[in-house]
Amino acid sequence: MSAVLTIAGNTVRELVRGKLLYSLLLFTALFVAGSLLVAQLTIGNWFRIILDMGLGAMEVAGALLAIVIGVGVVAGEIQRKTILPTLAKPVSRWAFCLGRFLGLVFLLTVNGAVILLVLRVVLGLAGYTLNATALQAAALLCVEFAVLAAVAVLFASFSTPILAGSYAFAFFFIGHLLPDLRTFAERSRSGAARTVAQAFYHLLPNLELLNLKSHASNELPVTAAYAWSAAGYGMAYAAVALALAILIFSRRDLG
Amino acid sequence: MSSALRNGTSVIAFALAIATAGALRVSAQARAPAPVESELDIPPVPGNVARALCFGFHSLLGDFTLLQSIQLLPQRKGDMPAELAGPIDRRLSRLLEYSVDVDPKFVGAYRFAASALPHETLDGKVYGVLKAAHLLQQGLRERPDDWHMGFLLGFLQSYYLRDFPAAARSLAVAAAQPGSPPWVGLLSTRLAAQGGELQLATSLAEAMLAQANEDETRKAWQDRVDTLHMERDLRAIEDAAQRYREMKGVPARSVRALVSAGLLPGAPLEPHGGHYVLEGDGTARSTAAERLRVYGTNENLEIH
Repeated sequence: MSAVLTIAGNTVRELVRGKLLYSLLLFTALFVAGSLLVAQLTIGNWFRIILDMGLGAMEVAGALLAIVIGVGVVAGEIQRKTILPTLAKPVSRWAFCLGRFLGLVFLLTVNGAVILLVLRVVLGLAGYTLNATALQAAALLCVEFAVLAAVAVLFASFSTPILAGSYAFAFFFIGHLLPDLRTFAERSRSGAARTVAQAFYHLLPNLELLNLKSHASNELPVTAAYAWSAAGYGMAYAAVALALAILIFSRRDLG
Repeated sequence: MSSALRNGTSVIAFALAIATAGALRVSAQARAPAPVESELDIPPVPGNVARALCFGFHSLLGDFTLLQSIQLLPQRKGDMPAELAGPIDRRLSRLLEYSVDVDPKFVGAYRFAASALPHETLDGKVYGVLKAAHLLQQGLRERPDDWHMGFLLGFLQSYYLRDFPAAARSLAVAAAQPGSPPWVGLLSTRLAAQGGELQLATSLAEAMLAQANEDETRKAWQDRVDTLHMERDLRAIEDAAQRYREMKGVPARSVRALVSAGLLPGAPLEPHGGHYVLEGDGTARSTAAERLRVYGTNENLEIH
């Protein structure tokens, strides 16, 4: 377990030294701050505009980081062969994968917390405060980042960085379309199309379950039971994806 | 020395590049063709399709189309003829429909539609009322928890459409929501009484009285129940007076005459402590309180 924590710590240190994290964080913070100006164009919907832009920026930045870095910390290392010195030490492949993932998720959570803090400040300047649903939405976004990071590591475990990134982005987009995929399956007249659509519906992560942005901006309350079960679903999915990644990565020939 | 020269040359080249860029910008601006007026319109993708393709960002798209409609509204001037205002009205309603198509829970869009869509023109016509009422009916279905939905719909139904029973029902929905001001319920009963739905008005007022827990609120609702009972009595007296005239060929002189003729079971008790008076023209009134009426309605408007 100490190997996992060591690798997680190293991952955090590596990523903190990189420029991608800071540039994306700065861009997101500026975007959230800019929502204060956009809100002035509207009539009586300041809270909604700021919150929508803030949570939207948080999701885009987090998803980008989760996928780009998630792919980079595994597939990038394999491509550059920098993984070999690490694995030459008494570090198992599962510990490497898990450590990379945990370090990345920690960084994504800190990143989300910083953006949420900026959002809180901007809302405060406009005379508002974060509601409970907004906090639940932000928490579930962090779970979504974990799912995306696990999916990125999974694809990175057997593919090239570009392909793995493409697959992970496809998962992100399809994951938000899953309710419509279900509707398609229900309405489809073709039995084969219905079966395939239903299979994909159950196989792919339903990221809309982790999407409470609209509820937060419409100030609609969400039960804690729902938030916990959705978060549990997301974490379980991430665990399954990561286990699959470890399984594939353990058997991969890195030579 | 050569290094200083190189540095100097670099600085001069840099300054020259900046000056050239500035001069060319001014030149390009002077020669630029006239700008094409951009039309603020909704995206070509239907709202329900766009909702799916937003990948979870549909409330942000709803904000965007609402902002567009807010920017569009000032283009419609009060003295604009209908043929010029029409295209703006159509774009406005399409943008707002789009907003609530992609985010059906968007209270701000429904509220803006209620105030922005209906507008009167100089020739006595009112445009956008039916569209706004349609959107607010959707708003009432999607967000029954927000009392503004029922209130705004009730306002449109009573002020423009003069459908008082429907307005009373919309306001009754609004009055039942937490946070609604106490006068919404009172207004609902007034509209119901005006629309002839006295039983609806009385039931609502009695329900509100039963759940009122402050002395002042209880008093207001007790007054309204009394006034509705008075209205019920006055209508019964007027109905009996009408039948009396049909039977005897002459108008009844008093309420007592109606009781003597067997047209009323007894002289009704005026709930405010006064008594009922039958006028020569067959109308009845109370000596203690005014009847419920809705004022300020305009029957001459042509609604679209």
